[in-house]
Amino acid sequence: MKDITALVFGFNNYASEIIDNVIQKYKKVYTYSLDVKDAENEKYKIKNFDLSDEWNEVAELINNNRCIAFCVLEDDAQNIFLTISLRASFKELMIVALATNKESADKLEMAGANKVIPIVKTTADIISNIITKPIATKVLHSILYEESDLKIAQILVEKADDFHGEFPADIDWSRYKGILVLYIMHADMSREFIYSSKAKHNSLINGDILIVTGYERDIQEFEKLIGSRKYVNWGNWSW
Amino acid sequence: MNFLKRLVIDASYSIDGSKSYQKQKRFFYNLLEEDSYKYKKYFDITMIMLIFASIAILIGEVKHDLDESLIYFNSYIISLIFLIEYLLRLWVNSSVSKIIINRYEYDSFIGRDFNLYKALRNVAATKFSYIFSLRAIIDLLAVLPFFHELRLLRIFILFRVFKLFRYTKSFQTLASVLATKKFEFLTLAMFSSIVIFVSSVLIYVMEANNPDSPINTLYEAIYWSVVTISTVGYGDITPITDEGRFVAMLVITAGIAVLAFTTSLFVSAFTEKLDEIREMKTIEDISNIKKFYLICGYEDVAREVAMLLRNQHKDIIVLDEEYSRVENAKKDGFTALHYNPGSIESYHKLNMDISTQVAAILCLRNDDVENVYTALTVRSINKEIFILSLLMNETNRKKLIYAGINEVIYPQELVGMITKELVGQPVAFEAIHELRNEQSSINIDEIIITERILVNCSSIGELDNKRYRVVILGIYKKESGHFYFNPLDDIFLEEGDYLLVIGNRVFIQEFETNLHSKSKI
Repeated sequence: MKDITALVFGFNNYASEIIDNVIQKYKKVYTYSLDVKDAENEKYKIKNFDLSDEWNEVAELINNNRCIAFCVLEDDAQNIFLTISLRASFKELMIVALATNKESADKLEMAGANKVIPIVKTTADIISNIITKPIATKVLHSILYEESDLKIAQILVEKADDFHGEFPADIDWSRYKGILVLYIMHADMSREFIYSSKAKHNSLINGDILIVTGYERDIQEFEKLIGSRKYVNWGNWSW
Repeated sequence: MNFLKRLVIDASYSIDGSKSYQKQKRFFYNLLEEDSYKYKKYFDITMIMLIFASIAILIGEVKHDLDESLIYFNSYIISLIFLIEYLLRLWVNSSVSKIIINRYEYDSFIGRDFNLYKALRNVAATKFSYIFSLRAIIDLLAVLPFFHELRLLRIFILFRVFKLFRYTKSFQTLASVLATKKFEFLTLAMFSSIVIFVSSVLIYVMEANNPDSPINTLYEAIYWSVVTISTVGYGDITPITDEGRFVAMLVITAGIAVLAFTTSLFVSAFTEKLDEIREMKTIEDISNIKKFYLICGYEDVAREVAMLLRNQHKDIIVLDEEYSRVENAKKDGFTALHYNPGSIESYHKLNMDISTQVAAILCLRNDDVENVYTALTVRSINKEIFILSLLMNETNRKKLIYAGINEVIYPQELVGMITKELVGQPVAFEAIHELRNEQSSINIDEIIITERILVNCSSIGELDNKRYRVVILGIYKKESGHFYFNPLDDIFLEEGDYLLVIGNRVFIQEFETNLHSKSKI
């Protein structure tokens, strides 16, 4: 992760939250704003850009680094235009874009965004979960956002032979103390629940990724036994 | 005399302070007058059935010899029930003890001797004002068939039909709608009366002396005039003189005007009151919903939340002070009311019981000021209800928490956290996202441990979850408030604990059903 450079296009509350959350994870974070006044911001170092196709400075960064771009302009139309401009210029660039509604989300995907975060829908999902399944939401939230000792991890299977061709659904995972295996992800990026029909008929092979949850120490033990922690390059992965 | 006064005052205070007396009076008041009282509808239905039974017996009696028991039932039993109802209404209508106490306290306050005569006069005035009200008169007339030996009094059974007004709300609504056009109806009635009077006299003068004319009396003239002005025109009585026919032409013209005016009055009265009638109906429906989520403010996030909750078959009520947003909610198929969620009066008007009926209050305006205002309003009514609110500006977070909001949702923060995780662990993120998504087949669910489940399973190991391809993520212990991840088989289950299970939605349902139904053999 530390070898990736983040480019944040647009400066607003969303941008500052993104910067604050990802700054520790990336090699460098560059922020660009359409508003010249933002360049005077004391907390963040902000550069100006416009929606023309002149990406000389950005192009240099993208060509010399592994980059991920966050398109967070408040105006949906401008955000879509920005996304399509970036995609037209940089075919391989990872683009994450924010959308206020489904219509914009669809257009952003058409414009070439690898990942779209629909703000309204995401917020509504969280609210709905909190009020209908408060305990489950709290637990999942703490696992995902590492607010407790519980973690979720992606483990690459490297010692599949140890399972002697057992099907994932039949393996007694309880022998790996403290670990719950939830999903299996295959080489073709398809993902399935541990007790799905497919998992009952396809044995585990090297290269499969197990999505497990447990305490860090138990996950580390599990890693030693079956493989290694896997950070997925999600360039080819979609929501 | 002083002894009598003291006796009356003491008795009044004793009755007023008697809990059992007040409880009984409150019960009968609710049963007879309080529309929101859950048993009132059963009482009303019973009374309506008695009325129809009574009318049916009256009709049957005209040409058939009915069984004596039916006549007895109609004349005595039903009349007696109506009499009891009449007396109960007279009783609950006002409080004699309160009137006497008020008088006594008033007299004491201004340093005068208690005036028993004035107190009794107030009591009589209050009771008689009820007795002479139209509703009470109808109630009394409905009791009169008790004296059925007097044949004339039997016709008073028909007054029982008027009692239907009491028990059927739509009649009351109709009356209230028409009451709004009282002045117009009065004008119309005066105009019609004048036309009828003038035309009756004219036709009588023109026709009565003509031996061939069917109009020979003033009564026949009035009858002809009413039939003509109402545009019914039976044709049994027609003027034969030229003058009489001229009067008929005038009356017919006036009749068209009267009919058109009457129709327009009804239409305009209902059009003006339509929204109010619908609102009343909605409020009535809301009072019958056992549990619902109250969404305050209907904007983009509120709309999405409402849709999600509806997909989970949850009841939702939307309140918004902006008419256009209320209309949007209605167009989306939600029960929405044009009420200010930040006003205490709104909740009183809606007649909702927040503590028992409302599952949670969601302040979802894109405006922190409005959300804080609404939260404070709700908190002033109920301290316990769960309130969730949107936060639009991080600097206002503390204000929302001070306002008593239990859960604050800041979309910007969510986006920040999401970007952090989806970039770091995209697959895990997607997995969790899928678990939370109601649309996906693999789901996380909460199963509460009930007494019945405990009869079948006492520990985690007895749950048999693997058979149903369900993963037990953990157990939330109610007593300690701790969550135990991946619990061991020997952990005991207790009533009120929550199991967090992951699996295919259908299998989770089967697993839960099995927990409730499986028997240990």
